[in-house]
Amino acid sequence: MRNRDADQQALCAGMAQWGKTLSEGHIEADARSAFEPHRWRSLAGSGVLGLPFPQQWGGAGQSLLTTLHVLETLGETCRESGLNFCATTSMASTGVPLAAFGGDALRERYLPGICSGELIGAHAITEPDSGSDAMAMTTRAERDGTHYVLTGGKAFVSNGPIADVFVVYARTRPEGGPLGTTAFLVDRDTPGLSVGGPTAKMGLRTAPLSTLHLDGCRIPADRVLGRTGGGLLVLDHVMKREILFGFTVQLGEMRHRLERTVAYARERRAFGHPIGDYQAVSHRVVDMKIRTETAAKWLYDTAERLAAGEDVTADLAMTKILASEAALSTSLSAVRVFGGAGYLTEVGLEKEVRAAVAGTLYSGTNDIQYNHVASTLGLGG
Amino acid sequence: MSNADQISEYIVREFLPDLTPSQLPPDLDLLADGAIDSLGVLKMIAWVEHHFRLAVGDTDLDPENFRSVNAIDAYVARSQSTAATGG
Ligand SMILES: Cc1cc2nc3c(=O)[nH]c(=O)nc-3n(C[C@H](O)[C@H](O)[C@H](O)COP(=O)(O)OP(=O)(O)OC[C@H]3O[C@@H](n4cnc5c(N)ncnc54)[C@H](O)[C@@H]3O)c2cc1C
Repeated sequence: MRNRDADQQALCAGMAQWGKTLSEGHIEADARSAFEPHRWRSLAGSGVLGLPFPQQWGGAGQSLLTTLHVLETLGETCRESGLNFCATTSMASTGVPLAAFGGDALRERYLPGICSGELIGAHAITEPDSGSDAMAMTTRAERDGTHYVLTGGKAFVSNGPIADVFVVYARTRPEGGPLGTTAFLVDRDTPGLSVGGPTAKMGLRTAPLSTLHLDGCRIPADRVLGRTGGGLLVLDHVMKREILFGFTVQLGEMRHRLERTVAYARERRAFGHPIGDYQAVSHRVVDMKIRTETAAKWLYDTAERLAAGEDVTADLAMTKILASEAALSTSLSAVRVFGGAGYLTEVGLEKEVRAAVAGTLYSGTNDIQYNHVASTLGLGG
Repeated sequence: MSNADQISEYIVREFLPDLTPSQLPPDLDLLADGAIDSLGVLKMIAWVEHHFRLAVGDTDLDPENFRSVNAIDAYVARSQSTAATGG
């Protein structure tokens, strides 16, 4: 555990108090694949959604590091991992680019709602025919006087079914390569925008995901986040925070998983001994500990360097790989240490495996992260 | 060192370590497939704007301004003269 200063300790203690309320009935909620508004309101009441955003727009003005400490506590104390995912998605997808790239009028209008949880944000990059190769997107935005007209289709929009506002990435120049895309802030009730129903999926079932269809949506030009042609710059900034926010929550989830598994290994007996007496079990638990602490070191170290303005391209990719693989591996180890019980839905561990698989895919698949590191080594073509 | 030389030196150092600055043709299409990847282009723009202290405001990011050493050089000169004349 990293040292926390007095303010960070107080904020984390405050966050921890919400854990029980937020977790109540989480296994049943997962079985129902239900996003529950009352749970979202409780989460919003904790103040976590506004932590990193400026106070003048309703945020708490906390540093990146402090935000991560509180998010780690959220993961440690809240078992509703789908809800946690909705939270970091809204913060990273919409709050982050608004704060960093939005004009004052946009910030004033939307950030207070994102911070208080009254507004839920989502972002739409992926399309049915372009995921990893995001720059192959075909959704286009054509200038028409004071507006842009957006046309196309998006897929895998986390928070889509519940979002009030979307950051949509679209092509403003068909041949512009990396400078051909632009980020737009789009209201849910924009004429021509239709949101698909929740898509059934393997895990994170309480975090609804959908398609998005844009049929000639007229968006005022002042809804551009950053500069026209600067969509990739916005996305790069957002993805760094999405990875740090999301996987620091998972770090907290890993800490809770480890604690629970250690307790079980001490208490569960087989052949006259606690199972933790057997090296096969204790080493598996130690492996969970190593992976959890490795993820922690990388997440906080990378965040510190990002906050200091360093280039963290390779570090962030390695952090994402290490943290997501740690989450997946520790979730499977927990199931195995719990034996048959680990496989039962009611024990709440199998849903952690299903959630952890997603972490190897979203925010850039781990294969793509390997490519980023390879390119910093001058490899990979 | 001229602006064009500074730009060539940066690009070679960051992205094309197998070349020397004099081996980088000033009209080479840097945005064409393979020369610099997408993240590299972002890094290069940030460097150009910071190094030459360009007040970028909310101007469009036109790929034509970043396509080659010559294009970047011309863009820097244009931006600096616009700033100097207050226009
Ligand atoms: C739970 C969840 C939430 C998501 N939320 C969002 C969201 O909010 N907004 C959004 O826009 N998107 C979201 N996504 C989409 C996600 O970003 C994409 O699924 C991801 O980028 C991969 O794209 P793809 O699914 O099209 O896979 P593809 O790009 O088709 O890749 C298929 C396989 O090929 C591999 N691959 C592809 N290209 C290469 C390469 N060059 N080198 C090596 N391997 C390669 C991939 O790693 C993968 O294994 C979400 C996805 C999930 C699962």
